[in-house]
Amino acid sequence: MKQKSLSTRLSIWIVLLAGLIFIAALGVFFNESRKAVRLEAIQHATQSLDNTIQRVTNILTQVKVATDNTDWLIKRHLDAPDSMFVYSRRILENNPILNGCSVAFEPFFFKDRGLYFSAYSLNTNGLIQTIQEGNDYYQYFSMDWYQLPKLLDHPCWTEPFSDFNPQGISSPDMIISYCKPLKDENDVFFGTISVDLSLEWLSKTISAVKPYPNSYSIMIGQGGTFFVHPDTTKLFYQSIFTPTLIKADTAIAGLGHAMQTGQEGMRQLTVDGEDCYVFYKPLDDTGWSVGIVCPAMDIFGGYYRLINAIIGIVIVGLLLMLMIFSGIISNHLEPLVELSYQAETIASGRFDEEITEYKHNDEIGKLNESFRYMQQSIVRQIEELKQVNEQKGRIQGELKIARDIQMAMLPKIFPPYPDRDDIDVFGQLTPAKEVGGDLFDFFIRDEKLFFCIGDVSGKGVPASLYMVVTKALFRTISAHESSPEKIISRINDAMSEDNDSNMFVTLFVGVLDLPTGRMHYCNAGHDAPILIGNTGAGLLPVDSNLPVGVMANWKFTLQETLIDPDTTIFLYTDGLPEAENINHDQFEMNRTIDLAHNLQQNRVFSPTAIIERMTSAVHEFVGEADQSDDLTMLAIQYTKHHEEIKYQRTLTLTNDLKRVPRLNTFIDEVCEANGFDMSSTMQINLAIEEAVVNVMNYAYPAGTVGNVTIEVKSNGSEVSFIIIDSGTPFDPTAKPEVDITLSAEDRSIGGLGIHLIRQIMDHINYERVNGRNVLTLIKKISK
Amino acid sequence: MKRFIISGAIFCFTFLIAQAQDKFIFTPQWTAQAQFAGYYVALEKGFYKDAGVDVEIVHPSITQSAISRIRDNKSQATTLQLAQALEIIDDGIPIVNILQTSMNNAMVIVSRRGQNPLKQVGAKVGIWNAGFGQIAQCMSKQENLNYQWVPFANSVNLFISGAIDATLAMSYNEYYQLLQTGIELNETNVYRFYNHGYNIQEDGLYMTREYYESHKEQAMLFAEASRRGWEWAAENPEETLEIVMKYVQMNHIATNRILQQLMLDEVLKLLVDRENKRRIYTLRPDMVEQASNLMFENGMLSRPIKYEELIAE
Repeated sequence: MKQKSLSTRLSIWIVLLAGLIFIAALGVFFNESRKAVRLEAIQHATQSLDNTIQRVTNILTQVKVATDNTDWLIKRHLDAPDSMFVYSRRILENNPILNGCSVAFEPFFFKDRGLYFSAYSLNTNGLIQTIQEGNDYYQYFSMDWYQLPKLLDHPCWTEPFSDFNPQGISSPDMIISYCKPLKDENDVFFGTISVDLSLEWLSKTISAVKPYPNSYSIMIGQGGTFFVHPDTTKLFYQSIFTPTLIKADTAIAGLGHAMQTGQEGMRQLTVDGEDCYVFYKPLDDTGWSVGIVCPAMDIFGGYYRLINAIIGIVIVGLLLMLMIFSGIISNHLEPLVELSYQAETIASGRFDEEITEYKHNDEIGKLNESFRYMQQSIVRQIEELKQVNEQKGRIQGELKIARDIQMAMLPKIFPPYPDRDDIDVFGQLTPAKEVGGDLFDFFIRDEKLFFCIGDVSGKGVPASLYMVVTKALFRTISAHESSPEKIISRINDAMSEDNDSNMFVTLFVGVLDLPTGRMHYCNAGHDAPILIGNTGAGLLPVDSNLPVGVMANWKFTLQETLIDPDTTIFLYTDGLPEAENINHDQFEMNRTIDLAHNLQQNRVFSPTAIIERMTSAVHEFVGEADQSDDLTMLAIQYTKHHEEIKYQRTLTLTNDLKRVPRLNTFIDEVCEANGFDMSSTMQINLAIEEAVVNVMNYAYPAGTVGNVTIEVKSNGSEVSFIIIDSGTPFDPTAKPEVDITLSAEDRSIGGLGIHLIRQIMDHINYERVNGRNVLTLIKKISK
Repeated sequence: MKRFIISGAIFCFTFLIAQAQDKFIFTPQWTAQAQFAGYYVALEKGFYKDAGVDVEIVHPSITQSAISRIRDNKSQATTLQLAQALEIIDDGIPIVNILQTSMNNAMVIVSRRGQNPLKQVGAKVGIWNAGFGQIAQCMSKQENLNYQWVPFANSVNLFISGAIDATLAMSYNEYYQLLQTGIELNETNVYRFYNHGYNIQEDGLYMTREYYESHKEQAMLFAEASRRGWEWAAENPEETLEIVMKYVQMNHIATNRILQQLMLDEVLKLLVDRENKRRIYTLRPDMVEQASNLMFENGMLSRPIKYEELIAE
């Protein structure tokens, strides 16, 4: 159902309330008015009734007085029957209001007059006739007017009756008679004097009482018969009780009995289907009762008209109120409706929709103002949002580029060394955001695998920048520095300097000597790598040290170990153990270790396979949860298999340059034994000589005698020349590459020599072992 | 002109004579009311005409009572109560019953509230001055109540005004008039004769034996058509009431529709024999005998009247 508008609802409520107030007020008013009208009606009707009864009673009294005045004359002149005609006539003459008069005697009272003797006079419009009325057809002894006073033994009024004497005269009208018993001195009844009054006169007098337009008068006799009634079908023919014979009506019967028993009063009841008030009062001592029937509509007619008029006015008024209020409220709310439409338009995206200004400073005015202010704010905010979005888009684009750049920095060609059989590497970096702070790198220099893995504190762009710097430093420094702790120390020093952002990076740097499997490594606060090899799986023992960038000049410790063939070094950042699922449970180190053991038992050593298995395990654990941190894994498998030494010789020389020819001879013999051609033999001789002479010249302080030992080992495919001395520690491989574009004078001492060695030999490695410098030079045997 | 008037007068006279010869005048014993409904119906519905009897209903007047009209040969038939019929025969006027409508006695004695008529020894009791109430007079003597009879004309005024202690009433007429005055009637203050061994039939249709003997066929046709009228009335009480009211209004009777309706209902009930529950329209020999004996014993008849004396054929 459609909701009614606010104006309609408000108007209906107002009108309902007003209606209720009207109803209450009018209810009281109507009730009080009705009481007053009723009281007034009772007084009015009662007054009219009293006046009429008084008038009638006066006449009735006149009749009684006339009768009493004649009474004694009759008794005195009983000896003269004919005088009765005179008295009968005189009464009428003296009282023109009377209709007739009978002076009737008991049968044979006057012996000479026989059975009947009743002197009767009748007044017909002033003409008075007098006769003896008794005869066989008018046996007055049985008449009420004669018998009643005789039987009752006192004067009385008859019920109205129609007199008819077929052999005499009689009144054509209905009459009532006042009759009095005639008794002699012995109190013996001998006759009746009866004086008649026309009912018509009485009827007219009573009917004339009309306090209200539709009210009417009734008179009932002792038997309840209507002797005055406007309805001629009821007059004389019906009694007040007649309807109750076939249909009980206690109200009517009660009224009838009250009137019959001479009571006076007022009753409200239904008469002939109409609500009426009946006022009644007995008529003197006649036994009759007069009543005035007043329809309630008559009494309350004015009152009802007033009610109807007021109710009409109220209804019309309320309807007008409803319409006017509805109109006014609707009119006042129109700006609100307009505002609503405009707000909808704005909501649909047309922010430039103009909001009509509302001039008044009322609630709607304030709302209008607020809306307009809101619109301006929205427009402004949207404009700003647009800019922010554009910026964000740009930043997103830039971030994407940054990511591409960052990713490009990482090794991405796997396997990186397809031609080599001694090493296999696989790495993978999955940043949590567009750019990440994890890093890994590796490269081979001088038959050594340099590798690192690191994790910058924090995430996102700052971390990525730090990562880039770290990686660049790693590359730069490790290009000429072979010791992991030195590489880290230098990176640390560089990064600790002016580290205003207080960022740091955990870093693990390893240098794996590929020919030997010896690995030097240094850890700067990074998680320990896991070694998975033929003999088992476990964490590589690491010193934790401090992360890089925390404190300059920190002494990082160098550690070393021998990596067995087929062993895989698994490195990772904390994104692995700290990977979280939706319940914020972490993957934990123990799961990682367990998985490593599992892999080891299944003899899964391939870097690719290990990282895939680790990745899938983490994904399975994390499930739907977002990646919380960068995840980086690097696996390096050392696959070198040392071949059997087939040839071995050793030469020890003092640091005397004179011993060089001996060296040359030794080298020639070795080269010949291993099948090198002349050219290669010369070149090898040159490279070994350069390295040995270098030791002879610089390893020991001038004037001190020291030995230099040359061990030669051959496995049939390559020949290792291991030059050992116990002089000053010196790493020739740490010298930067010779800038051969410079003139010979400008080059540093030894620099050209090591360059020459690098050019000739396939692998060069320096180690300081047990206080001795150990320089290994390897040359592959051409087949 | 004069000759025209004379010839007109002669024509009228001869016409009236002819009319008088053919007319069958029926006079009920009282003024027009539902007590005679069957006869009004028979006339109005054309049952008399169907029977070939030209009936005219003439009600009695003060100067001419029904029985005087019969005696004077002004009416050919009338209604009478059984007790009245016995008195008339005892007076030496042979009459015959050609149809009996009343199968039960309808007379009651009504006393004031709280009074019992059987305990009001010597009370002043109203009685019709028109000559009904013989059985009541017998009962008064039989029961040693010795009522003082006060004759009244035709109203209940004496009783209402307190001039008499009790009054006789017909259960179909005055009984309702009394009710109409607002008085209460109950088992105590109403004495019903038929309940106390005085169930003696009342209204029947009578004519002089002389007339009967000379017009047997017409008499029987009239009786049969009247009986048909009563049967129709019993079947159609509502329409019958309309017919009754027409006669009531025509004769200016001081009554009303309700009283006539009640009277019709009661009269129709009286048609039904209490023992065989049927409308049998005949005098019962046992009732004739009881009435005759009662009235004879109480000095109202000079001799017992035999059932056969009342019966045609």
